[in-house]
Amino acid sequence: MYSKEIEQVLKKGKITPGNYVHVANPNFSSDGVLIPRPNFGDESILVLKLSNGYNVGIRYDAKTKIIKLNKVAAKFSFPENKLKFDKSKPKVTLITTGGTIGSKVDYRTGGVHMLLKPEELLYDVPELSRIANVEVNNLFSIASEDMGYKQWQDLAKGVESAFENGSRGVVIFTGTDTMHYISSALSFMLERLNGPVVITGAQRSSDRGSSDAFMNMICAFHAAAESDVAEVAVCMHTGSSDDTCSLMRGTKVRKMHTSRRDAFKPINARPIAKISVEGRIDYISEYKKIDAGKGRKVDLMTGFEPKVALVKFYPNSDPEILDYYVEKEYKGIIIEGTGLGHMAVNPTEAKYSWIAPLKKAVGKGVVVGITSQCLFGRVHTKVYSNLRIISNTGAIYCEDMLPEVALVKLGFLLGNYKTEEVKRMLNRNIVGEITARTEVDWFV
Amino acid sequence: MHDEKYYKDIGFMCGLEIHQRLATKEKLFCRCNAMLEKDAQIAEINRRQRAVAGELGKVDTATEFESHRQRSFTYQVFRNTSCLVDADEEPPHELNNEALEVAMKITASFGAKIPDEIEPMRKEVVDGSDPSAFQRTMLIGYSGTLKVGKKEINVPSIFLEEESSGIVSVDANKGVYSLNRFGIPLVEVDTDPEISNPNEAKEAAERIGLMLRLTGNVQRGIGSIRQDVNVSIKEGTRVEIKGFQDLGTMPDIIENEVERQVNLVKIRDMLKKRKAGVSEPFDVTDIFAKTEIKLIRKNISESGKVYALRLKGFEQIIGYEINPGRRLGSEISDYAKLAGVGGIIHSDEDLDAYGFSNKEIMELRQRLGMKPGDAFLLVSGKKDICESAIKYAKTRAELALTGVPGEVRGADSKLLITRFQRPLPGGSRMYPETDTTPVLADRNYYNDLLLDRIDADAILKKLKKEIKNNQLAEQMLWSPQISLYDRIIYVTHADPAVVASILLEKLKELKRSGVDVDSISEEAFVEIFQSYKTGIITKAAMEVIIKSVPKRAAEVAEIIKRHNLKRISGKELENIAANAKGESRQDKITEIMSKYRLTVDGSELLGILDKK
Repeated sequence: MYSKEIEQVLKKGKITPGNYVHVANPNFSSDGVLIPRPNFGDESILVLKLSNGYNVGIRYDAKTKIIKLNKVAAKFSFPENKLKFDKSKPKVTLITTGGTIGSKVDYRTGGVHMLLKPEELLYDVPELSRIANVEVNNLFSIASEDMGYKQWQDLAKGVESAFENGSRGVVIFTGTDTMHYISSALSFMLERLNGPVVITGAQRSSDRGSSDAFMNMICAFHAAAESDVAEVAVCMHTGSSDDTCSLMRGTKVRKMHTSRRDAFKPINARPIAKISVEGRIDYISEYKKIDAGKGRKVDLMTGFEPKVALVKFYPNSDPEILDYYVEKEYKGIIIEGTGLGHMAVNPTEAKYSWIAPLKKAVGKGVVVGITSQCLFGRVHTKVYSNLRIISNTGAIYCEDMLPEVALVKLGFLLGNYKTEEVKRMLNRNIVGEITARTEVDWFV
Repeated sequence: MHDEKYYKDIGFMCGLEIHQRLATKEKLFCRCNAMLEKDAQIAEINRRQRAVAGELGKVDTATEFESHRQRSFTYQVFRNTSCLVDADEEPPHELNNEALEVAMKITASFGAKIPDEIEPMRKEVVDGSDPSAFQRTMLIGYSGTLKVGKKEINVPSIFLEEESSGIVSVDANKGVYSLNRFGIPLVEVDTDPEISNPNEAKEAAERIGLMLRLTGNVQRGIGSIRQDVNVSIKEGTRVEIKGFQDLGTMPDIIENEVERQVNLVKIRDMLKKRKAGVSEPFDVTDIFAKTEIKLIRKNISESGKVYALRLKGFEQIIGYEINPGRRLGSEISDYAKLAGVGGIIHSDEDLDAYGFSNKEIMELRQRLGMKPGDAFLLVSGKKDICESAIKYAKTRAELALTGVPGEVRGADSKLLITRFQRPLPGGSRMYPETDTTPVLADRNYYNDLLLDRIDADAILKKLKKEIKNNQLAEQMLWSPQISLYDRIIYVTHADPAVVASILLEKLKELKRSGVDVDSISEEAFVEIFQSYKTGIITKAAMEVIIKSVPKRAAEVAEIIKRHNLKRISGKELENIAANAKGESRQDKITEIMSKYRLTVDGSELLGILDKK
């Protein structure tokens, strides 16, 4: 936003950002296109795009003149590729939800534009039309950190109708920050899934020719159109190179880096498959296969209890946090303990012991699950006596389930089952979120 | 070389873009070491890049041209000189303030103005040299001037930007780049196209180079400064020439480029008269099914293709010489080569020498529907390569109808000509770098810089006074050693004449005799002169130390010890003088100096002898 003073001058001169103008003061004199002021920085600086493509910032003051020129700015539009139907190719529905992968940049202003039409996508990634007939469902446009269980429910419904409408597979574009929560939620909500649901995103925006979005999309579409995986999976770069993506179980994957292309790693698992940018799919671990004898129809189970919390134990952490949640009528709490699933049991200052608050919470009917902040590996109830003490409070140790997955699972269970059933189901495998064995090479 | 009038008549326009790497500790947008030359490679990353729509929603021609080539790129990653920012895996860090200060100093030296707010931009780059596919760049100065002799040339813009990565190897399918150089701060100084002849271009480039060096904060050595020259003539289009190896060949290369452009305009006029045109590509593989032409036979046997174009009205024009040994055909061939073919065959060449049979030529002419005055060209190779090659060849042949195509061309310092590299990028490929914030310029700081701006003439005057030898002073002004000279004088107060003569004359002499003087660190040089100034060594001993190539300052003392170079003076020298056997004063001097040439200062000895 420009300052009020500038806005008034612009209004008076009938100038709006995007217009060709002449700006002159004792220090500067040039034609250019007026650029909207970004929402930060000094509001009294006019930003002008010069004919050489560069922007410059010129401080507006009493000596500065700005005149609208007659030249009309060229209209900006994103190029498109026509959709062609190829009956030899399967139908894949693309559901977009927002995030880096679905956004494009208005190159003049740097402003972000959400991808709305499949034609624009096919212009950027024409390879997709050689893989599948793409149908696009722009469900919403929300950054992944702003998404919650209501969006997960809508997404599940979107997947249901995609399969009802004859799609072989579904690709979902989301922001990456909470992608592993989304993939967990869908894993639980889509019962009797009999086709690939592949979630992908981008760590680098697609305005740059080097964006990871392109290969992620290509591999995700190969997975949706060609793989026999009947699971919800995340498909993202395997390494920093643009050669292979990993297809990872939706409940066994986590964003492990803030910015790298290969931020998503399988945890306590190997990828289901590796997919080359040319479309070769190498299956490398066990997965649920498409049952050719059955249709694609899914049963939805979208109930969700939002009053579930994820609490991290750390040295000097105050266990009264549990009382807070109990008071706020939370129905479930997942604790990220240390190591095998520890919290303070015998600290020198009694107020730091988690035992009493834990007992109290469980006693009030709150379902408490224990996971490990190590992420890799399995929690255990017996190795140390402290573990037994915690376990005896009625808290449930959640095997090798990731803390975030446990949180989503708990919300899902509480939204669909009675408490006693929830307690029974929390540490039992439903969709691959818990494994019975830990293989030797499941570690970084 | 032509005279001034010739260049005026043809409408010669020429401007420079000088790129200079800065000598800052860190890179422009990350905290990697920007000075280290050798570093351990730790990984390689393979990437693909594609064309994305530019500012008006269109993919730029240059961008599309590159992207059609579907190349993949490999980036070499280094421990200390590259990080995730360079690998396009982490957002940029804060703008390097040291780099901004140096850039401002350079901007001030051209008397340029600065914007109130500096806006970092992304400039799309699709040759793969930037892992992010864009270069971060910002306009930091405008409306400056450059003095070349008595003439003033406008400096319309000065930019601060990221250096591209170093090219390891590039071919039609793959580019390999090293990231150690990528992201080092670079300043670009542009001139308006006011240069009036090729020699003046060289002088202007030299002058800009001098100004940059005089700021003292720029990298030196091969590749640390690069000169791009924009050249056009009245009826042509701007051509950008890159890759000059040295400024000495610049005038000849520009002159040949002008000749090429003049000839391309002539060709255009001839083609216009003949109502020339270019056909769509023909697949003529079948005509050559049983050919004796070795290359084509080999390609076809590997299920390759032969494509042809009919070039209506081009007879004797593809073979028209536009530069020594270069024809229009060479230009078309350079385009086709980008697709990965070895070249083209055209009908203005000696077809018998290739082994064409009459039957093949007849069939070909028939298939293409050729009439008298027409020409053809062929490419052969793998199907996909061949498809792109014929497309590129067609593009270039069509451009012959318009005269001089806008191109980026590489300077060939041996043949003194230029060669096509890629189409000239259009303007529609810049957009704001939104991962970092604009920078408010510090006007007070800049005004101080303007008051204290570098003035080459004043510096020369000062050097003449210090060195007391006009020729050496002039040499020092233009020498890359000037910053070392300044530093030595500043730190040690050694005699400027001695410093200048050693840095300019002695080093050159020793280098010629094979001493690796470039490996001696600045610190070591300072230490050598410090030892001399404080009387630890004599002037003559400096040469011995330099020959031992000290890389660190501490090595200088070790060398002095190892070679017994400690200066003999005072009482010790008096004793030596007293014990000298020689009869005459001269005999004594000869006797002592032949024994203690490196450790006794001649003037001190004279003083002692004369005292007696």
